[in-house]
Amino acid sequence: MTPQRSGLAEAPSPPAWLWFCRVLMAFARREIATMSGYRVALVVRLLSFGISVLALAFFSRMVGAAVNPYLASFGGDYLAFVVIGLVLMDFQQIGVTSLGQRIRNAQLMGLFEAELATPVPTWIVLSVGPVYEFALAVGRAALYFTLAALLFGVRFPHASLLTVAVSAPLVVAAFVGIGLVSAATQMLVRRNNPVAVFLASASFLLSGVAYPVSVLPPALRALARLLPMTHALELVRGGLLRGAPLSTLGRPVLALGLFAGLLIPAGAALFAVALRRARVDGSLTHY
Amino acid sequence: MSDPIDATGIGKTFHPAATVADLLRGRLRQAPVPALSDVSLRVAPGEVVCLMGPNGAGKSTLLRILAGILVPTTGRARVLGVDVSDADAAFRRRVAFVVGEERSFHWPLSGRQNLAFFGALHGYAPGPSRALAAALLDRVGLAEAADRPFSTYSRGMRQRLALARGLLGAPDLVLLDEPTLGLDPHGARELRRFLREEVIRRAGRTAVIGTNDPAEARALGDRVIFLDRGRVRAEAPPDRIEQELGL
Repeated sequence: MTPQRSGLAEAPSPPAWLWFCRVLMAFARREIATMSGYRVALVVRLLSFGISVLALAFFSRMVGAAVNPYLASFGGDYLAFVVIGLVLMDFQQIGVTSLGQRIRNAQLMGLFEAELATPVPTWIVLSVGPVYEFALAVGRAALYFTLAALLFGVRFPHASLLTVAVSAPLVVAAFVGIGLVSAATQMLVRRNNPVAVFLASASFLLSGVAYPVSVLPPALRALARLLPMTHALELVRGGLLRGAPLSTLGRPVLALGLFAGLLIPAGAALFAVALRRARVDGSLTHY
Repeated sequence: MSDPIDATGIGKTFHPAATVADLLRGRLRQAPVPALSDVSLRVAPGEVVCLMGPNGAGKSTLLRILAGILVPTTGRARVLGVDVSDADAAFRRRVAFVVGEERSFHWPLSGRQNLAFFGALHGYAPGPSRALAAALLDRVGLAEAADRPFSTYSRGMRQRLALARGLLGAPDLVLLDEPTLGLDPHGARELRRFLREEVIRRAGRTAVIGTNDPAEARALGDRVIFLDRGRVRAEAPPDRIEQELGL
């Protein structure tokens, strides 16, 4: 430890994991303090969240009233089916956009220069935002499932927790891989990346977020296989709605493993190049 | 003892982001914009050097290179014995880059909360971070306003908070970019006194200050380096710089 010249304290040099935790906690405190300053906005967000759950419930009551052959293999409960779809869409959106968004916001707001002038490693500055966003998404997912269970009696009687536990990190890893590639491209061309918007629309249309993939014509079904969301939904719904063991979900596990295995190393390498280039250009600290 | 700053032949060229039209033509960058060209400087231990020059002269770019935030396109800069291209955590603990940029703070948060956040970036645990923030707020004269939102601070208070943020580490070298920009004459005089007595002289720190204000250079500097269009045009003690420039 090096004594600080001012004699006010000692300048610490914590191990990376501890440093990350301290910055993450400070980031969370800062976000919560900022959010509490906008109470009306917070209340409006909570209200709109509640309204969307209610709308879904009424919609599912209508759909559920009819005997629906497409939903039979998912247990027949449309609300349970669609809540999983929306929760995974939320995770995909965060995985794909949060890193690029954090970089762009910090550039536009002028925060990065002051942050990067401190001793903190750049990877910590960049990663705390997405990790915090994922934590919020987990909270939102818990709220969705709790409301659906308490108010509308949604149950997952066949759920295989082992399948869900194994699939969750695999799903997140596949989304983060796309996010790394997307953020690196955004840094290199210094433009908003349209990948996230396109992926969100394509996933909603093709991946079976709001309706099963089986309702699509064969050509679109083949296209859907190219999207990680399709495999993520197949895996998580398999585990939660059908209680399917992992051994019967080989195809989505393999597909997501491939997405993660290819995209994370490629994205990390591309991101490292983009970061080096940004330091030379000075584009990390301004847009 | 080697010089805290030893830079030779520093050049910096920027490549602005391409417009949509550039991208359609297959170009990822616009035409290059030179910001610095063949700038060399040495700064002795405990010396205070003012970088002067018109807007766009390259003062801020040079300060950012010395702070290890930007990598020079050509030349080599060693700061506190470290090549700025290899600036690491230990380097950033010893070099304070005081950014007066108001957008670099979180406006809804108080001065104390802002400093505590940056304390975490310096690696402090929450308790020591809060204690250090309180001590620094007291030292820069913001103890009474510590819990007010940053958005309610005056320009001078914001600059003082930026100084407090710069002192969170253990700086041997302080780099300041236009520290009194936008302050009224009285506020600027007060801040210069504080800078000279509390931040620089008391701790015997070396400092490089970017400024457009000759009064600031006279009050703070041992030497002035005058930049014009990215090149060193003159170098002299503050009271002789105008003569050197033929003004």
